Amino acid sequence: MSLKLEAGWYKNAIIYQVHVRSFVDANGDGIGDFAGLAQRLDYVQELGVNAIWLMPFFPSPLRDDGYDIADYYSVHPSYGTLEDFKSFLSIAHDRGIRVIIEMVLNHTSDQHPWFQESRSSQDNPKRDWYVWSETDSKYRGTRIIFLDTEMSNWAWDPISKSHFWHRFFSHQPDLNYDNPAVREEMWKVMKFWLELGVDGFRLDAVPYLIEREGTNCENLPETHAIIRDLRKRVDQEFPGAMLLAEANQWPADLRPYFGDGDEFHMAFHFPLMPRMFMGLRLEDRKPITEILQQTPEIPPSCQWCLFLRNHDELTLEMVTDIERDYMYDIYAGDKAMRLNLGIRRRLAPLLDNDRRRIELMNGMLMSLPGTPIIYYGDEIGMGDNIYLGDRNGVRTPMQWSGGWNGGFSNADPERLYSPPILNPVYGYQAVNVLSQKRTSHSLLSWMQHILGIRRSSPVFGSGSIEFLYPANHRILAYVRKLGKETILIVNNLSSAAQSVELDLRRYKGNILIEMFGRNIFPRIGDLPYFLTMGPYQFYWFRLRQI
Amino acid sequence: MREIIVNELTQAFQEMAREIAHYLPRLIVMLIIVLIGWLIAYVLKLVARSLLRLTKFSKLSENAGATQLLHQAALPSSTELVSRFVFWVAWVGFVLLGVNVLGIAGLQEYISRFFLFLPRMFVALVILFFGLVAASFFSRAALLAAVNANYRSSRLLSTVVRVLIIVFAFSMVFEELGVAEQTMLIAFATVFGAAMLGLAIAFGLGGQDLARKFLEKRLVQHNKEEREDELSPL
Amino acid sequence: MAEETLLSDDFLRQLINVGEVDIVVGLATHNNAKTIEPVLGAIQSGALKCFPRERVAIINADGGSQDGTTELVAKASIDDLWRESKVYALRTLHSISVPYARTPDPSKALQTILAAADLLRAKACVLISPESTTIEPDWLQRLVRPVYHDNFDLVCPIYTRQKFEGALVRDLLYPATRSIYGYRIREPYGSEFAISGRLVTDFLGRGIGNEDWGKMGPEISITIMAVTAKYRVCQSFLGTKAPSPRGAHDVVSVMRRTAGALFSSLDSNFPVWSVISGSENVPTFGTATEVEPEGARINRRRLLEMFSTGVAQLEPVLRSILSSSSLSELQRIAALGINEFDYPAELWAKTIFEFVASYHKSIINRDHIIQALIPLYRGRSLTFLTENRNGSAQNLQHREESLCADFERLKPYLLEVWADRK
Repeated sequence: MSLKLEAGWYKNAIIYQVHVRSFVDANGDGIGDFAGLAQRLDYVQELGVNAIWLMPFFPSPLRDDGYDIADYYSVHPSYGTLEDFKSFLSIAHDRGIRVIIEMVLNHTSDQHPWFQESRSSQDNPKRDWYVWSETDSKYRGTRIIFLDTEMSNWAWDPISKSHFWHRFFSHQPDLNYDNPAVREEMWKVMKFWLELGVDGFRLDAVPYLIEREGTNCENLPETHAIIRDLRKRVDQEFPGAMLLAEANQWPADLRPYFGDGDEFHMAFHFPLMPRMFMGLRLEDRKPITEILQQTPEIPPSCQWCLFLRNHDELTLEMVTDIERDYMYDIYAGDKAMRLNLGIRRRLAPLLDNDRRRIELMNGMLMSLPGTPIIYYGDEIGMGDNIYLGDRNGVRTPMQWSGGWNGGFSNADPERLYSPPILNPVYGYQAVNVLSQKRTSHSLLSWMQHILGIRRSSPVFGSGSIEFLYPANHRILAYVRKLGKETILIVNNLSSAAQSVELDLRRYKGNILIEMFGRNIFPRIGDLPYFLTMGPYQFYWFRLRQI
Repeated sequence: MREIIVNELTQAFQEMAREIAHYLPRLIVMLIIVLIGWLIAYVLKLVARSLLRLTKFSKLSENAGATQLLHQAALPSSTELVSRFVFWVAWVGFVLLGVNVLGIAGLQEYISRFFLFLPRMFVALVILFFGLVAASFFSRAALLAAVNANYRSSRLLSTVVRVLIIVFAFSMVFEELGVAEQTMLIAFATVFGAAMLGLAIAFGLGGQDLARKFLEKRLVQHNKEEREDELSPL
Repeated sequence: MAEETLLSDDFLRQLINVGEVDIVVGLATHNNAKTIEPVLGAIQSGALKCFPRERVAIINADGGSQDGTTELVAKASIDDLWRESKVYALRTLHSISVPYARTPDPSKALQTILAAADLLRAKACVLISPESTTIEPDWLQRLVRPVYHDNFDLVCPIYTRQKFEGALVRDLLYPATRSIYGYRIREPYGSEFAISGRLVTDFLGRGIGNEDWGKMGPEISITIMAVTAKYRVCQSFLGTKAPSPRGAHDVVSVMRRTAGALFSSLDSNFPVWSVISGSENVPTFGTATEVEPEGARINRRRLLEMFSTGVAQLEPVLRSILSSSSLSELQRIAALGINEFDYPAELWAKTIFEFVASYHKSIINRDHIIQALIPLYRGRSLTFLTENRNGSAQNLQHREESLCADFERLKPYLLEVWADRK
């Protein structure tokens, strides 16, 4: 039932991010479930991905889309039972698809029995499982993350008449990792799921585990010590299991989370994503090359996780003020599109539903160094609904067909957990899996094609990268290399045709083979290699010495 | 005796009559030639004038500074001058042709010489014209340059330039005409030498001033309180 | 087409790399290594500060520099390898250099820059003098904004100057241009100005840069073309103008490039300017800054001497240019002492107009006419200095205005002498 855990599998993975609730509803209650997800694994496999990342599916009051967990050892009843999960896991593994689940270490829901006990009295044994204080003036140097909803990182608890610490919503009290009992309990939780067979965890909100006075309470050494300990235990008992860090930080601040290869296996590259969008709009590669130059080397066993869009807003925390203003003006003209410090939109609407731009962005995602993540629905160009609150606009039901509820559920439309997208451009009548499967030029077919090419070579996942700096700044060109295999990637970020001269003298004598059509391009000589490129066009060339 | 006189007279008259009878047709022919020549010359003049007007010769000579020169010499305009020149050359040619018809020995040789001389004279005139134009242009250029560079004796300089160029032009003219070549060479050498001497003296005199200023600047500078700003035009 | 011959293959390759831009900043250089660095710095920070989102390119047309000017220009590029922790740039900023000739030729330099701006489809093209050491980052915005945001086609600068600076502009170019062409453009010959993309295209298309007057004074020819073709012109206050280290010593060439070009432009534009009377204001942006007055240390005696020697020595030349009454007036004032000396505004205006007419008729060689004007200009400057020796800024403005009024009043006189077939 379990796939063989080979070390480093994550480096050549392509991850598909799914919310159980949004994917498909098998029991007709209007909410997606594991039974449905298991049925549609065929689709996931055909798409060409080899890993699934599930968003939280634990019992929860669902005030933060499941990130407020009320029981770590079970499945939310709306999504099915633990048995359903197990059977889903086994089908996924049978199809060669690995499963990564969400693990929220930093906090629980205020409905979690631990917190209920902790708040019940000052001398409860679980009192110091959470961070309590008589005043709300401790840790003043800590920023507030959810600026739009929270005033303070402290919340008043009327029951125990004191303040508790929360970095996120006030209904999400932070666990106290200075308490060994908490650490042991959380390891027990992880062990539980690893024993069931999951292949890895995405650890949510890791920089915030420990608080210390006089610091900003992020990325503290004590936090790193806890992670190292967890990693050691994972490596000992479940070798091959993967830990993925969610830490929205600058690359240099993120680097410590890889340690010497003894902390996380993977981490999200948050600052790159907005810069890809920015480079595209500026028609200038500078933001992209700049951030990648600032990205430090990571240990060979580690890997960056790249994404274009995910279940959260397109975060603009890791950009300068000038860049943020620019991004807001360009990508979120309507104020309703903005949330916290970000833009809550899906890929296709962000790119004006321009097929060429969608392809270019996916092309870069697949060819830059790292493991790509595809957010469910973006492979068919789904739209969003900015009039749903919070980030729910990008979490609408998956659009399977043009029929009843877009093929998501047989329930009455009114019963769905969220209204599906209905508008004539992005609605399920226009954008759905079924219709896209029927044509070979659909976005879905194209995605299958490019994923196939990506899987054809380990260079994309594990190769080195070297940027070429052609004088034409609208062209982003780089060479990926692994062993004897060399791949040249040339992207035109401009909406107009461009010509570019590439200095490829180092590869003199090689011929270029374009990887999509497998056509041969002229041999590289002493002169600059001259290419003309259509609007938003990109080339992947395999270099061959014949 | 009387008879002889009468006889001689009659004979002389007869001879004269014969001579006149002999010459009269030629004379008439000559007169006709001269008259027709005048007419042709006049037409040529008109043609030349309108041709010059058409080609805007006056503008050309204006630009070369010739108009101004002629104006100064109280001569008619350049177009008028050239067309008159055409008229006279043509008419004189016809007159000489007519005289030639008379068949007066000796004269014929001179006439043919005149026609041989004509092209040289034309060239000489052109040289003279351009020489004068150049003299006027360069002397003015020198004058302006000198004034704007704040030289004291600009007029002298300009005159020297003018004289030099005119002398040079005349020497060329005379050489072209082949008149008194030796004399002209000597005259030219004398004038040139004199001009050089004049220049040398002028430079010496001017240089004295310059040298004084230079030394003043070098030696007395620190005593000078007022620094000078140049007037900045832009 | 002009630009075909202006663009070498190498320059074209550089332009391909620059691609379409919003703003072109043009620099015409020749051995400017000493002063160009602060200028480039100001352009760069001006672009980053005021136009962070716009695509800006610096294009330098170089007339055979030997002192490393072009290398300094190339160094001002901001690309992916650019490291400057203090400044953040959103975009790539190309700074490219092209040698258009081995010897400087202002007209060709300008044409090269404009041809590049045209090819790159720049919405605004701003010219900056590499000698403007007093430049502030703000200048870029002041020059470009009216073109970029307010749809103007030409932005002329207004500088703050010392009294003894810009004498030619104040006494001749401004009043003459204003009275003849009817626009109150304070600096028709600015070393900094901005023009719109459509004016660039039109200017190149008309080939004015290839005509005599366009070659003579490329900068003033743009101003004149803009006003005669009814483009939208405005002015913008910049700041202190750095006195050109070269101009002061070469009055003759300055006179040719300014007054020469102005006079020369009148022939072909006669139908336009002959019907204009009076003058109209052009919109002006920004506010004037006061300048700390420095004592003018001009040797007035020397000016007078240059004037009176000029009048005396040039008598035969002036006689052919001026009317006899003007000439005798000039001879009269040339004889005055330094304290009584006065070259009245009206006489000055008449002098200029008679020069204009003689120039038109090519009474003598045109260049000689321009040169003959220099001693007279010195005399007029002397009067201006004397009049404003202790006057306030307001006083000075008043006098300038009254000089212009005299020029405007005497415009019929210009038309009269222009038509008079002497």
